[in-house]
Amino acid sequence: MDIIVCVKQVPDTQEVKIDPRTNTIVREGVSSVLNPFDAYAVEEALRIRDRFGGKVIAISMGIQKASKMLKEILALGVDDAVLLSDRVFAGADTLATAYTLALGIQKIGKYDLILCGKQAIDGDTAQVGPSLAEKLNIPHITYASKIEKLESRWIRVRRLVDDGYEIVEASLPAVITVEKGLNVPRLPSLKTFKAAQKKGVKIWNHQDILADPSCTGLNGSPTQVIKTFVPQYGKSVEILEGTMTQQVEKLFHKLSEEGFLFE
Amino acid sequence: MSMQGKYIQRFSEEYEDYLKDESRMIGEADSISFPKTEESLRAILFELKNHQSKITVQGARTGITGGAIPKGGHVLNLSRMNKVKGFRYDPKSKNYFLTVQPGVLLSELRQMISDKDFDTEDWSKESLATLKRFRKDQEYFFPPDPTEASASIGGMVSNNASGARTFRYGPTRNYIEGLRIFLADGDSFLLRRGENKANGRTFVIQTDQGRILSGEIPSYAMPDVKNASGYYAKKNMDLVDLFIGSEGTLGIITEVEIKLIPKPAFFCGMTVFAPNEDIALHFICRIRECAFRPAAIEYFNADALVLLKEQKRKNAAFSTLLEMPFDSREAVYVEYHGEEEEVIQGILQAGEIFVSCGGNEADTWLALNSQGMEQLHFFRHAVPEAVNLTIDERRRKEAGLTKLGTDMAVPDAMLEDVMHLYRTTLRETGVESVIFGHIGNNHVHVNILPRNMEDYIKGKALYGKWAEAVLKMGGTVSAEHGIGKMKISLLKKMIGEKGIEEMKGIKRTFDPEWRLNIGNLFEIE
Repeated sequence: MDIIVCVKQVPDTQEVKIDPRTNTIVREGVSSVLNPFDAYAVEEALRIRDRFGGKVIAISMGIQKASKMLKEILALGVDDAVLLSDRVFAGADTLATAYTLALGIQKIGKYDLILCGKQAIDGDTAQVGPSLAEKLNIPHITYASKIEKLESRWIRVRRLVDDGYEIVEASLPAVITVEKGLNVPRLPSLKTFKAAQKKGVKIWNHQDILADPSCTGLNGSPTQVIKTFVPQYGKSVEILEGTMTQQVEKLFHKLSEEGFLFE
Repeated sequence: MSMQGKYIQRFSEEYEDYLKDESRMIGEADSISFPKTEESLRAILFELKNHQSKITVQGARTGITGGAIPKGGHVLNLSRMNKVKGFRYDPKSKNYFLTVQPGVLLSELRQMISDKDFDTEDWSKESLATLKRFRKDQEYFFPPDPTEASASIGGMVSNNASGARTFRYGPTRNYIEGLRIFLADGDSFLLRRGENKANGRTFVIQTDQGRILSGEIPSYAMPDVKNASGYYAKKNMDLVDLFIGSEGTLGIITEVEIKLIPKPAFFCGMTVFAPNEDIALHFICRIRECAFRPAAIEYFNADALVLLKEQKRKNAAFSTLLEMPFDSREAVYVEYHGEEEEVIQGILQAGEIFVSCGGNEADTWLALNSQGMEQLHFFRHAVPEAVNLTIDERRRKEAGLTKLGTDMAVPDAMLEDVMHLYRTTLRETGVESVIFGHIGNNHVHVNILPRNMEDYIKGKALYGKWAEAVLKMGGTVSAEHGIGKMKISLLKKMIGEKGIEEMKGIKRTFDPEWRLNIGNLFEIE
């Protein structure tokens, strides 16, 4: 079973920096990590390969520096890694990203399954996975919390919904986006780490994947980010002094003043 | 006798938590205070002196030998003396020095240092200028890392805390540059490393109030291992060292000057799974001889791994533990710090050694980034957690049961002997146990998990037997937890009646009325 895993490099910080001109996230100069949801996708892909055989290929679109993250993924035992990197890919929204990834995946060619994290922790849109499936004209299942069954031509997935879970089947190839907690992502072993040292990350530009630059990056992105900001919460801390009883009385008073207590 | 005043509260139910610490002992007290400043502390001490009240000094109560458990009298809780007071830079050594109050927690301190963000209220111009410099400078850190990051700095100094990284960086002692001390009667003095030394075995200290205190350094020889048993004692020693590890029996720490050193650019960790103990021990003995020295070498025996596998299966809190290799028996964790290239080389070399000892490269976990490191640390910290959970479960049936955990260390040459001793005696006795800990320093924690009182009694007997053997090997009865109220008889075994008498001499110099931290180090008479 050949599996492609889509991964993204995200800033390793709680409060991301925003470019005031383009209103997009500044990625240079910020330390980066593999998007945590994607780590579960990588692990699931490796487990499936270890059981059924085949190959796992990781693909990402990003700046050249993202090849470091892909090297770390190779160290986990992933067979190949591809980075789609080109100036014309910069500033892409989910539509342009899905377009670019789809072309990269078509260049890779053979695959039975595509796994993605359910969303990236920087953009939080959860749109690239489904959008990619549409571009490739294959089915998709989002928010997978467990792969219940996997056969050569179809897959059965448990997906989380607001009030419980659903069991959904799809024919293969398909795109599955995965939830946190699907598995416990492994660490590299010395063996896989050393094997990865001999491998390189393939870097493809827009010509390599025959992309139309007007459909990639900022040019290909109909989404206009007007404003991005970290929500400000009016947090304040008040320390109640006195004996335990006095403190409890004060707290009771405060809570009823704020309307948290009902008769 | 019960007091109440501006700062002193009569002891009541609401303070019940302050009768306990992580040792699970429960003490008793008549009054309690939470001073925020030296002025209020002095006022409290004068009041207590009038009543001749005994005083138990507390930090964050994370100790596990009962050092913070009050034995009647007053609880002096320093958790609200938690300000960072100043900052200086020494261009010669290129180190920074922070002056902190004893109630600052290690976790808070680490955060402030890594964020380079401090509450600078009341800081001097020099301190503010140092902070400006610090913000532009490279990253720095405070190396001591006891497993419990909610420990207070005062507590860490009082028992000379260590942790996994002590293998490379040494214990807390190595990062303490100065101490401000209050005696039980309210007199105070400042000790700075290099400025107050013993002359041979005699020493003199003058208090701010002009009183002269003099005494004799004990004559016992401290073991040449990681050690937290009794007063530090060496000819011509620095007097700062006398107070570090004195478990609050000599004076009350009101300020600590700690040293920050440049933070290594790269951290990397690796856990290797060995098919048997011989391979694990052989690997350990060889990697600690390498020129590029690991920062930490930690050990997990087969029973510890079985316990973790069991907890992972049945307890949600452990479900995110990594899947262990199928037939793993023993595990060793090594950590390297340095430049990226040398660290990677160090890991690869450790890997080669592991293979040459009979290990398999595939049965390893490599952490090359902070998330990976977190996972390996989680795995390490899960062992004592799992032990505590198991004991708690058993206590529900048999309330008298407690964990029996050793804290002994031996010299390098004795590592294999001591491990052999633990293994054979545990097998003979048939009690359940796990062994884990700081094996780089020949310092493993053998935790006996009694199923019933019979096991408990057997375990206690084993404990005593091991202590005798470890002392014969030139080791210590406590390498990092301290003596507290639980290991006094072991300390006596270690330094003898004469040693105890010499320690009492020091105690009398600083606390002639015998009021501070009664029950720590010495029996209550």
